[in-house]
This record gives sequence, C-alpha cells and structure tokens, in this order.
Amino acid sequence: MKARRHFLSTMSAALIASMCVVGAANAEVGVTDKEIKIGALGVLTGPLAKYGNTVYDGIETVYEEANKSGGIHGRQLVYVREDDRCQAAEAVGAAKKLIHQHKVFMIHGGACSNASLAAKPEIVATKVPWVITASTAPSLTYPVTPHIFTTMLAGWMESYAQVQYAVEKGMKRVAIIAQHDNWGRSRYDPLMEAFKLHGIEPVANEEIVPDPADATAIALRIQAAKADAVILIAFPKAAVVAVRDMYKIGYKPFMIGGSTVGDVGLFTKNVGIPGATDNLHAVSTIGYAADDPAVAKWKKLVEAKYSGDTFNIYHMFGIASGQFVVEALRRAGKDLTRDAFNKAASNLSVNTDVYGGPITCTPTNHQCHNTAAWFGLVNGTTKRLATTIVTR
Amino acid sequence: MQALLARRNIVAVGIIVFAILPTFANAYIVFVANLALMYILLSVGLNMLLGYAGQLAFPNAALFGVGAYTSGLLRLEFDLPYWITLPAGAAFATLIGLAIALPALRLRGLYLALATIAFAQAALWVFGHWNSVTYGGAGFRVPPMDFSPLPIDPPTGIYYLSLIIVLVAVPLGWNIVRSRIGRAWVALRESEVAAETLGIDLTRYKAYAYVVSGLYAGTAGALFSALLGIVTPESFDLFQVIVHFCMVIVGGIGSLWGGVLGAVILVGLLEVLRTFRDLQEIAFGGLLLFTVLVVPGGAIAMIKRYLPGWNEPLRRIGKKR
Repeated sequence: MKARRHFLSTMSAALIASMCVVGAANAEVGVTDKEIKIGALGVLTGPLAKYGNTVYDGIETVYEEANKSGGIHGRQLVYVREDDRCQAAEAVGAAKKLIHQHKVFMIHGGACSNASLAAKPEIVATKVPWVITASTAPSLTYPVTPHIFTTMLAGWMESYAQVQYAVEKGMKRVAIIAQHDNWGRSRYDPLMEAFKLHGIEPVANEEIVPDPADATAIALRIQAAKADAVILIAFPKAAVVAVRDMYKIGYKPFMIGGSTVGDVGLFTKNVGIPGATDNLHAVSTIGYAADDPAVAKWKKLVEAKYSGDTFNIYHMFGIASGQFVVEALRRAGKDLTRDAFNKAASNLSVNTDVYGGPITCTPTNHQCHNTAAWFGLVNGTTKRLATTIVTR
Repeated sequence: MQALLARRNIVAVGIIVFAILPTFANAYIVFVANLALMYILLSVGLNMLLGYAGQLAFPNAALFGVGAYTSGLLRLEFDLPYWITLPAGAAFATLIGLAIALPALRLRGLYLALATIAFAQAALWVFGHWNSVTYGGAGFRVPPMDFSPLPIDPPTGIYYLSLIIVLVAVPLGWNIVRSRIGRAWVALRESEVAAETLGIDLTRYKAYAYVVSGLYAGTAGALFSALLGIVTPESFDLFQVIVHFCMVIVGGIGSLWGGVLGAVILVGLLEVLRTFRDLQEIAFGGLLLFTVLVVPGGAIAMIKRYLPGWNEPLRRIGKKR
C-alpha cells in the first residue's frame, strides 16, 4: 500500500512539474550560407496525390533551375516534402514537423483546403511564411495574414467566372449540372451566389454523383428545360458521362466547364466521341495548354526530371508558384529574413511562364492570382480563348 | 530481468515519459504523443466492445466524430468553456452509442459489422451535408482553449488534459474488464447461449459495451476537436474505422493493454512512414498481414509469451498484507 502511494505521488509530482514548463519559441531558422530550406505541405499519397506531388514536381523543377544558375544570392534551395494525406490531423502533424523538426525557412505548398485550414493556426502562431499552391479556400488568405499568400484561384472565383462567362456570351437560359459532395458544394454555393448577383435563375439544376454510370435522365431534363448553356461542376469522370449523354440524345448546348476539365484536349480523349466537346469551353487557373509551345521548355524539364510524369496543369500550378517564390526570395535580398521575404512578397507582381495573367500581391490582398483563362478546342487542339479577371 | 520488464514498471516509465515529454521534445513530437493519447482512448474503448464483448461492430469512428462535432459546436455557437463542452461531447456520443445498441442487439457477426459500418457512413454524410448545423464539407474552426490562470499554452494544456484523461480512463477500463461486467462480456463473447444459461442479461451487458465504447470515443473526439482547432467531416471517414480496428488487432484483441500498445504502435508507425511516403500503404498492410498470420493475438500476445507479469486475469488478485 505504501509503495502504491509512493508511486502515485511520484507520478503526480512529475506531471505537475512538467505542466509548469512551457517551451520558448525558436528564432528564425532554415537559412544558412549555403542553403534555404523550404517545406512542402500537401497530399503526396492516395488518389488525390496529383494535387500535391505533381504540383511539387513543378515547384522543384523551378528550384532546380534557380539552383543551376547559382541559387538565390548564392544559396541553394532545398525542398522537403511532408504528406498531409488530405486530412486535418495529418496536416497539423506535417506542418509541425516541417516547422519544428525540419526547421524550414518557409512553407511552399498546400493542396486540400480543409487540411490547409487545419494547418493554418500552427503556421500563424509560428509566423512562418507560407505560399499556398493549390488550396482554394478563401479564408486561407482573407482576412490578410502578413505571411500567408496564395498563387491559386480561390474556389469561388472559378464559379463566378463561369457565370460571368455565360453572361458575356449572351446566354439567357443557363442550366447547372453539379456534384453536391464536399468538393462540389464549395463551388456550387458560390455559383448560386453569382447567379443571384447577375439576377438570373438557372432553368435547370441537376445533381450528378462523382462516378455515374449514366446521365441520360439528367440530359433529357436539361434538354426539356431548353437551356442554351450548361455549367458543369463535376469531376472529370462525371463530366465525361454528362457530356457523352447530352451528345448521345442529340442535344448540343454551349457547355461551360470548370478547371477539372480545363485540359480540354485530354477531356475530349476521355469522352471518346468526336465532336462531343466542340461546344465546351472550360475555365482554368493556368494560361496555356500542356502542349502549347509557350510552355515547351517546362514540359521538357519536368518530364526529364520526373520520368513517370506527363506534363499537365498541376505541374503548371507549381511552376507559376515556384517562379513567384524564387523572385520574392531574390528581392528579399542577401540578408534573408522572414520579414524581408514577407515584405518582398507583399509588394510583388510576377509574370510567370504558365499563367494567363500576373501573380500580384499587395499588402492588403494576398489572394495574388485572379486571372482565369478559358480553353476550348480549335481545329482539334486545345487553345486559350480568353482570359477573365475575376472580381466579386 | 523479467521483473524489471513487468507491466507495472513499463507503465510507470511510459507515464513518466509522457509526463515530461513537453519539457524536452519539440511541438511536433508533443503533437504526435497527444494523438497517441487520444487513440489510446479510442482503442481501449473499441477493444472493450470488439475484444471483450465480442461485438463485431464499428461505430467508433462515427462516435469519435459525434464527440468532436458536439464539443466543437458548443464551443463555437455558445462559447461554452471546455470543461462543459468536453463532458457534453462525451455524453452525447455515449447517448448515440446507446441508441445504436438498441438495433444492434438484434444483429450479430457480419450483419452487425455491416450495420455499424453503414451507421459510420451515414454519420459521415450528416457531418458533410447538414450545412445549417455542421457547416457541411468545409467544417468549422473551434475557438482555442484557454487554460488561464495556469501558465501553459493551449497545445501544452490539451496535451496534459489528454494525459490526465487517459490516466483515469485506462485504469477505469482495467477495473471494468476485471469486474462482473468484464466477465459477463467475455462470457457472451464466447457463447451467447451459454452466457444466457448462466443468468447473464445479454441485452444489458451488450448495451453496457456500446455505452462504454461510446463514452471513450466521444471523449477522444472532444479532445481531438480541441487539439486540431478545426472539425471537418473527412477526419471521421472510413480510414478512421480501419485505423481503430487495426489498433485493436495489432495491439491485441481482447486485451486492454494490447489496445494501449496498438494505439502507440500505429500512431508511431504512421508518423515514421510519413517520411517514406511511397511505402506507407504497403507497410501498413504488411503489418496487418504479419499480425493476423504470425501473431494473431497481437503485440501483447508476444509480450505475454515471454513476460508472465503481463497476464490479464479477469478478476482482481488479492494482495498479501
């Protein structure tokens, strides 16, 4: 009995003593005379890996080019990747590991929005600069946090751009085919907001599941509503079925796709019916098709460095973001500090090789990308048709 | 040597390590340890339902979510202090656990497993689509906890709160499984007919198992929402069901201390494999296969084979005075 009491009191003393010790925050880290350590936070495994890994392949290609040309003020860029598996708990762990274990200078990445939102408090608390590459939640950068920037279009922008485009094209009767899952809702809700702002009502509003076997009923209902344009908010697989089944019943409306079908050429191949996508225009974050000669240099570099990769839009997210970060680091000067980086990035406009417009950050706006580009097929090749500056 | 490695000593060392960890480890290690503490609660709770009571049921991921959502929403919407929202989250999950028990009492084996997995999926759908309450797919932020007047920051505070809860919950579970309730669970696990002939009220004891399991899962969920500061539906998906199940299997089904071990092993493994991202899924599957084929009793069975001090009798052994 005495031993047990002694045991319990020892345990309690250890517990209470430990609770009173609070760790102090680290000073600035991640920069030596020879290197700048940058962390990637995002999904690296599983079905969504392309939103992380592929983007980071693009970033690393840009870093490698910068390193080959002597680095940033003589320092080599070192990129460390940590997997968040698109899960909130994993994202917090990954952010903490990058900041406290790898001791990175900054974080460059972020794919799934909810995971990035979960990681944000840790990044805010430690004041580590963070440039987001693919997460689309607007609350990541609004209201402005001095050290958080994004080079990706916010989720609402794509939806707003779709409605704006329909109006600009003079479409009067617009229908919607949308997924209503988590991903779909994040675009569907702003889409309905945009409809309201333009004072128009969709003539049909159809839900589609992410992996449908058939969408004939949906196509027939939209045809019956006499829609002259259809806005698509769907994963490629669902969009393929919707487009195929509309074409199958002989219905050929003007189709306004989201970024999931932004690579119209690839999407057309997946649909597999010549002519079915002739009326499809799709919005995208990037400014060039993957096989456009303007981005041939990057295609060659990425495919040489990552033999398993086929150059695509996700690489371009990374390339644009990488070019922005490299320029911000350069302008932050030789005596690199986090404050200097934040200041440089907050007053920077970069015309990247792959976006349709500049990435421009200001001290009051860290949603640094707002140019949506429109793509469609011209003589069987994917071409940029227009660009839209998206505003609310 | 065997005496040195007795359970009592190992547990004491474990408690000391967990207690002093924040004094020397960085924030990442402390976070991982905190996750391990929460998963210990989940694993111990599920082990009582699955391993002791023999109910092939998987409601824990959903109840984990119920605890997180209840606690988080009470913090967000009513600005209630955490000492109210944590027990409220645990209590609501316990109630839901009891509600599941009612239909589940009529089912067994594969049908029970399917019904509870369906419940987990339905709960996930509600988390993701009941926009007016749960904030849908985007989830919601939980206001940070305030530990004043104690001189500790929120992450450290949550860590020690988790540790204290585990230090209460595990001995409580240990007492339950060695009590009349635990013996009744084992009896009904071995044979419901035989248990009934011994006068064991199947309905009552099965309900107890669901309630206790729900209580542990709900408590873990409430802690989880405070730790992450955000509640999103995908945190409670089918992957959680699998992870909880694996913890029980890898640690040792039907062993409370196995549940503790399983949680620590799995959380550690997932973190170690974070660095070897291409190997994660292979290693995870490999460990499961290894456990099922080579050590079906889990890690605890291996320990028990060599260290007799780790046996878990279903009764309290009297001490010599």
